[in-house]
Formats: sequence, structure tokens, C-alpha cells
Amino acid sequence: MRRAFRIPFVRTPRRKLMREVSDELQFHLDTRVERLVALGWKPDAARREALRQFGDIESVRDDCVALDIERERTARWTDLIADLLRDIRQAVHALRKAPGWTAIAILTLALGIGANTAIFSVVHRLLLAPLPYPEGNRIVMLSVGQGDDVRFPTVAVLRVIQSRARSIETVAAVSVAALAVQEDDGQDTVHAYITPNYLKMLGIAPAFGRSFTPAEERGEGAPVAMISYSRWQHEFGSRANAIGSSVDITFDRREGPERRRYTIIGVTPPLMALPMSSGSFNHNLHEAKPGVWLPLEFPGWSPTAEPNSYARLRPGVSVAQAKKELQNIIDTSPELGAKRPTIRLLRAQDMLDPSETHMIEVLFAAVGVLLLIACANVANLLMSRAWTRRREFAVRAALGAGHARLARQVLTESMLLALPGGLLGIALAWQTVRIITALRPPALANLDAVHLESTVLLWSAAISILTGVLFGTLPALFAARGSVGNVLRSETPGGSGSIATRRVRSALIVFEIALSIVLLVGAGLLVRSFVAMQSAPLGFEPLGFEPRGMVSFDMLFNPSTTPRNLRAGLRNLVVDQLRAVPGVTDVAIGMIPAAGYGALTSLSTDPDPSGVERSVPEFSTIFAGPNYFRVAGISLIEGRYPDSLSAPAQSGPSTAPIEVVVNRGLASRFWPSGGALGARLHESNGQDFRQEYTVAGIAGDVHVPGERQIARSAVLYRPPMPFGVSVIVRTATPSAALLPALRKAITSIQPTPYIQTTTIGEDFIRDALAPTRFAMALMAAFAAVALVLAVVGLYGVISYGVRQRTREIGVRMALGAEPTAVARLVIGSGLRLAIAGVAIGAVGALAATRALSGMLFAVSAVDPMTFVVTTLVVAAVALLASYLPARRALRVDPADALRPD
Amino acid sequence: MLDRDGGLLRGTLDLLILKALAWGPRHGYAIADWVHGITGGDLLVEEGPLYTALHRLERNGWLTGEWGYSENNRKAKYYRLSRTGRQQLRAEVALWERYARAVGKAIAAASPEVGAPASA
Repeated sequence: MRRAFRIPFVRTPRRKLMREVSDELQFHLDTRVERLVALGWKPDAARREALRQFGDIESVRDDCVALDIERERTARWTDLIADLLRDIRQAVHALRKAPGWTAIAILTLALGIGANTAIFSVVHRLLLAPLPYPEGNRIVMLSVGQGDDVRFPTVAVLRVIQSRARSIETVAAVSVAALAVQEDDGQDTVHAYITPNYLKMLGIAPAFGRSFTPAEERGEGAPVAMISYSRWQHEFGSRANAIGSSVDITFDRREGPERRRYTIIGVTPPLMALPMSSGSFNHNLHEAKPGVWLPLEFPGWSPTAEPNSYARLRPGVSVAQAKKELQNIIDTSPELGAKRPTIRLLRAQDMLDPSETHMIEVLFAAVGVLLLIACANVANLLMSRAWTRRREFAVRAALGAGHARLARQVLTESMLLALPGGLLGIALAWQTVRIITALRPPALANLDAVHLESTVLLWSAAISILTGVLFGTLPALFAARGSVGNVLRSETPGGSGSIATRRVRSALIVFEIALSIVLLVGAGLLVRSFVAMQSAPLGFEPLGFEPRGMVSFDMLFNPSTTPRNLRAGLRNLVVDQLRAVPGVTDVAIGMIPAAGYGALTSLSTDPDPSGVERSVPEFSTIFAGPNYFRVAGISLIEGRYPDSLSAPAQSGPSTAPIEVVVNRGLASRFWPSGGALGARLHESNGQDFRQEYTVAGIAGDVHVPGERQIARSAVLYRPPMPFGVSVIVRTATPSAALLPALRKAITSIQPTPYIQTTTIGEDFIRDALAPTRFAMALMAAFAAVALVLAVVGLYGVISYGVRQRTREIGVRMALGAEPTAVARLVIGSGLRLAIAGVAIGAVGALAATRALSGMLFAVSAVDPMTFVVTTLVVAAVALLASYLPARRALRVDPADALRPD
Repeated sequence: MLDRDGGLLRGTLDLLILKALAWGPRHGYAIADWVHGITGGDLLVEEGPLYTALHRLERNGWLTGEWGYSENNRKAKYYRLSRTGRQQLRAEVALWERYARAVGKAIAAASPEVGAPASA
């Protein structure tokens, strides 16, 4: 009897099932007819009677077929699961026979995927610092103009955009007023006006309380305000009674102090800020973020005002599309009159330094190379093992296991490696990121939003797993293809593998050696940079000023107690008092360099003969007094210190142009062909403020490491404005020790100015360098991982190859060869491979490390020592990997070596 | 008592089929013959319900089907009890006996009252 045969996994066609059922029922009918005929019936009559007795044979057949179809389906599933389980069991068994190998394979995969992803994610976050807002890549900054005349759009333009643009979800603006604001207790003094939808534009919600209603935005009703999160914590202890309390702001107006009371209706979340102002250079605003947010609708602003404006694009809208639409709106709106500026939309990544983008590229490359090494390792491991099992596969193929069956089984084994490897890799990445975040230096406090970059994770995982599967399955199938006889016979004495396999393996070894050299040289250079950086806490690039032994204080006058006419004298008094403190060598009025105010004005030249105005929307203003440049250590390149910097401070915008100093960056931007000295500038906010300047001198550029270059290209040094005073103090002894005495000197003055910020020069620079230093540390860790992977992989692969030649060694010895000669042979071939790999690798490294030169400190990209050391290390590993197993093989009794394994 | 199996309670047909196969594989016709014979002609299994039941039991996994040749050299489908089928047979037998006992008690009642001298 034959069991009902079914091809596994293949659905039996319905036709076949029907035929079977028909046959079965037919048999019944035939038998019945037989019996009837035996009883004397005529055949025809018997047939009719049999059919009649049966009943509705058609529907019975249909019912049975339906049941059979169901049966089929269940059986298919059961078969599938049973096969899968069997495959898994066998795979586990096979893997358990070689635990060390399995562990190495899984670990290599895990390291390749995990370490890569983790380090990449953190460094990416550090350097690229994408906006931490929900879908922050949809936020753009708006600017108009082109070439050198760049400003924020006017309120008139913003209004038009707000009412017409469909590609924009929200447009909002912010105007930070750092001038002339004072709280009763001097807590914080910076407030900002925001348009409606500002929080919506950022994608955040109030941390407590509510945002403004439309009526409040229009200025109707009692004045209301939202306070910042940190203010809520400090002043109200994060308690609910903040809502309904009031905050008093005293505005320092020219006519005298004006005091207003605002009711607090909500608290902004910690993320609330200017999303991408290059006012990150504006460290006053950055450090003392606005504590109070006041509502202001667009109508409240004058149409010519130019606040910082931002927009959130609708989902799915590209920047190019939005720009096109906005430009169209601007060009066709009747409200805008004759002025049709060209609008630009800038995303956070568009404001990146070229050097930062460069770093990202290098990082990508490093990650790629590490992944390649991991994959090469895994490939080699798998191929070697497949070679060992070639006879097993050939025999099984001969015994009737179909190729599909074998392939499926090997695939299962590969998956059993790949899946744990991948999962372990993800877990490793996750944990590593958490550890790195926990270890971050305090200056990088905002590094908590690091998440695993899913792209890198997915690519790493996909590539590693694919490698595993490919290199696990293909070699096995090749082995199975050969005829059994050949394979079993092929234990020829020289047999270390077919020529093809040997060539492939050699090629892979050379490739790995070369790749290792490239990666390790790069890693070595970075590590040396890191070490050098550690010993130079202030970085290596010239700063343009002298931060050591410098303290700066930024202070504001209390408008209620300090009438304007007293302030000039008060300023000088502060300077004198500080000078008198023992340990102080010099004092000047001015802010710490590179940290000027970014006011909401733009700076422009007068129109040149062809009517072209140059302007810049964001620039740094440093209010400086006499001796500022000398005390700060900033060099003067051309011209002179203007007399006005020695004169008493003005009490308001002066009608005559004020003499100022600009930095070289601004000078070359506005007057590229020279002629800056004596040229005219004006500053205006588009509404009521306009001040004329004449350039009297050009100062050297100041450069704070690690910060965006865009910000510092334009610096204006001008006499102080009346709202406060900043001083820089040069000390002979370490500044930190003198702080109490300095503070006392200030507070001894009546009426007392409020100290807003205190900055110690070295700390300022060191904090600016913190991200870079941290990134370097991570790269060093990365280098360590690369080293481990490369060395382990290399050693494993080469030594395995040598072990394969055990039989060959045995034969040679049996034939009488001297052990040393044999050893020389084996090591010689290993050496050849090493030399080839090193040569290729060195050439590759020379080319590749040039890409790193932007990131290196105190080390050249072709630093000979690094090259030499790396080459020696890799060569040493290769040689050891050839020698040690060979030595072991030599000691084996030739008879043992000859025995089939 | 009327149902698709034509005169037999549904579960009974299953039980009879399973029992019929207790000694070895049989084809459908032979099963019907056996039931007819063993019950002394009292039970007659109808073809339609029989084959539907056989396929159903096969789908449930209690029977396995095999093709073979009958005594008169015709191709026929033979059914055999699977392991789970044997378990099912035992279970059904136990169930049937319990059922029969219960009904028997009711039928043997001497009085209309429940809770007569014999305890329940």
C-alpha cells in the first residue's frame, strides 16, 4: 500500500483532490454494482440502483473535497513548522560542536553592528546637533536678500506669508530684548516677544499652564506673560502657584524707568529657545535664556521691523517647494509695494560649518570601514568552517538530501548566528549610548536626547546579516555540488582546499590586512590627536585674544535707582574699584571677546556708487571702553582706537556718527577691496532705532574653537550703551581665587549694579572645546574596537588557514623534510600575504588619511610614526598567526597528521 | 434523532467508524459492511454521511488515508487509525458508555419520583 503522497509545501491542485474523491466514491459504486450483479441484477439496472442508493453523490463529493482542502492546508503548516524546528535543532547541534567559533562569529557581528551604531549616533548628535524639537528638520529660518545683503524678513513680508502660504504650517517670530530690562530682584533680565504659534512652530507645548489666547496676543486685556522653565524652578520651586502670580518688569527707557506688571499664565518647557540662531555666539542670551516671554502679534510690530523669524514646513513639503511658493507670494503680493526681496529658507544643517560636515563624512567612512572589517572577519570564519564540513555536505548530498534541503539547513545555521549577533549588537549599541551619555562632561548637558541613528543601525545590521547568510550558505552549496567520490578521495596530501578556495581565502586575507592598516592608521592618528588635545586644554588654534587670567562681569543698572545721567560715572567707578583689588593687573570696560550681544538689528553699509548696500542680519556687538583691546589681548591691524571709546558713554543714539572698530571678517565682507577705514556703517532695527558709525580701526578676528564660524564673521566694537556695563579683568593670580574679592568690590558701589554673568576665561574656552574633546575620546574608543576586531579577525583567519595545512605538513615531514624547512615554508607564505596586504594597505592609508587632516591636532596626516607602528603591529600579528599554529603542527606526529580528519 | 447521518446521532457514526478501524485499515465500503454485519442488520450506514464523516475524521487527524488495491484489484482508499485516532476512540467509547448508563438509569426508573431509596 502506498501512503497518500503529498509534495511538501506544494499545494495539491483542487483538480487532483477532486479526482481522488471521485475515484474513492467510484470504487464504492463499483463494489455495490458488483454485489448487485452477483445477486442477479442486470448491470445497467444495478448501476442505476447503486446510484439511487447513494443519494446525492455530487454534493457528497463536493463536501469531501472541501474537507480535503482543509486537511491539506493544516498539514502544510504542520509540515513547515516541523521542518523548521528540525532545522533549528540540527543547526543548534552543529553550532554547539564548535562553541568557540560560534562565539567569535556572534561577537564579531555584535561588535560590528553595535559599536558602530553607538559611536556614530553619539558623535553625529554632538557634531551635527540636529534640532531637538519634534520633527525638527521641518523648521527653517527665514532670511531675505542675497549675496552680502542678508537680513531677516520684515514683518510686512511675514504677514503676507502667514496669510497666504500653504506649504508652511506655522510662521512665527521672536524678538529678544536684552536691553534695559530689570526685574525687581535682578533675577534675570532678558525677556522676549513671541508671535502667536511660536511654541507651535517649535512643536512643543507649555510645561505648565497655558499659552496665549488670540485676544492676549493682540494685546487686549491685562498684560500676561509666560515664564521660562528654569525661572519656574528657581523662583517658584516648580509649584502651581506660579500661575496667577505676577512678574514686574522695569523698562529702562530714555525718559526714565517704566514699570509694568504681567500676570503669569504659563510656563515654557526647557526646550524653549531660539531654534537656530547663530546667536549661539551670543552667550549672554545663550546662558541667560529669556526668562519671560511676552506675546506680540504681527500687527503689534511695525511693518518694517525685522524680528528673528522661523517657519515650520508642512509634512512632505521640501524646502525647494516651499521656497518657490513663498517667492511667488512675495512677488505677487500687492501689499509689499515695490520691494520684492529674494527669500531663503535655511535648515539647521545648512548652517553647519564645512569642517563639521567634513567630520561627518569621515565618520561615515570610518563606520563603513569598521563594518567591512567585521564582515570580512565573519566571511572568513564562515568560509573556513564550510570548508571543514565539506565532506559532511558532500556525503549528505550523495545520500539524497536535495540541494534545497541542504541550503535551507545551512541558511538556518547562518540565521542562528546572524539573529543573536544582530540582537546583541542592538543591545550593545543601546547600552553603549547610555554609558556614553552618562559619562559626558558637564559642558555637554544637552546631550541627553541621543538616540540610536536608525539608518546606521539598519545598514549595519542588514550588511552584517547578509554577509553572514551569503558566506554561510554559498560555500556549503559549492561543497555539496562536487561528487562524493571526488570529495572523499580528495584528501590528497596537498589538500588544503581546491585552488579556487585557497585563492579566495588568500585574497580575503590580503584584503583584510590592507583594510586593517587603513583603519588602524586612521584610528592611530585620531588617538594621537586626542592625546595631544588633552595636554593643551585651550586648543591649538590661535584664539585672537588671551583667555588665561581673565575674568569678565556683565552687569546691568537698576533703572529705578540709577538715573541715566549717573551711569557714566558709575561705570568708571566700577573700573576703579576693581583695579584696586590686589592681584588685578588691569581692567577695561568691555565684554569677553567672542561673546558680544546680538541685537535685533542689522548692520549695513551705505549704498556704494552703484547703489549696492551690503548688510548682515546677525553680528556681534561688543561694548568696549578705553584700553579694551590691550587688556583683552586683541590685536589692532589697521587704523587706530577711536577717541570715542575713551570718551564718556552716550546716553542715546547720537546724531553724529560714532567711531567704531570692526573685525577683519566684517571689513573684508563689506569692503572686500579695501577702503574700510573711514567708511560709513549704520545699524537699524527697521523701526525707531538707527545709528551711524564710522570705521576708525580694524581688529584681528577672534575665534572660539568648536563654535560655528558663521557667527563670528562680523564683530562691531563700539562705546557702551547706557543700560549696563561689562568689564574684563586681568589677574596675575588664578582668577577663580579672586572672584569673591572682585564681587565684593562691585557690590560695595552704591547704587549696586546687578551682576548678570561671570565668566572665567579658561573655562569659557574649555567649555567651548568640550564637544570636540568628547568626540575625540569617542573616536579613540572607536579605534580600540577597530583594533580588537582587526587583530582578532586577522589572527583567527590566518591561523585557521595554517591549521588546514596540518596534513600537508605531516606529509612533508613524513617524506623527510626538516621541521625548520617546513616551518619556513608555511611562515613564508604567511609573510607573503602579509607583505602584499601591508603594501596595499599603506598606499590606501596614505590616500585615505588625507581626509582626516581637518580633524587632527598636532599630528600630520602622513605621520610616519603612526604608519610604521601600525604596519609593524599588523605584520607581527600576521606572522604570529602563521607561526604559532605551524609550530603546533610541527610537533604533531606525522602519522596523526595523515589520518583523515 | 433525525439528523444528517440519517438515523444515527452524529457522534455515533464517528464512534462506529473509529471502532471499525480498530483492527486495521479498511475502505469505506468495508466499514459500512462491518457495521451492518456486527449489528445484525439493525444499523445501516448511509453512503453520503459515511464518506463525509470519513473525510472529516481524516481532516481532524484521527484517520490517515492510504491508497491501495482491494480484494478484487480495484484501486481503493483505505483508512487507518492514527495515534490520536486511537485516543479519540477510547474517549468516545467511554463517553458512550457513560451516556448509555445514564439513559439506562432513567429508563429503569420504577417511580415518577426522583430521589427514591437509591441515592443519586
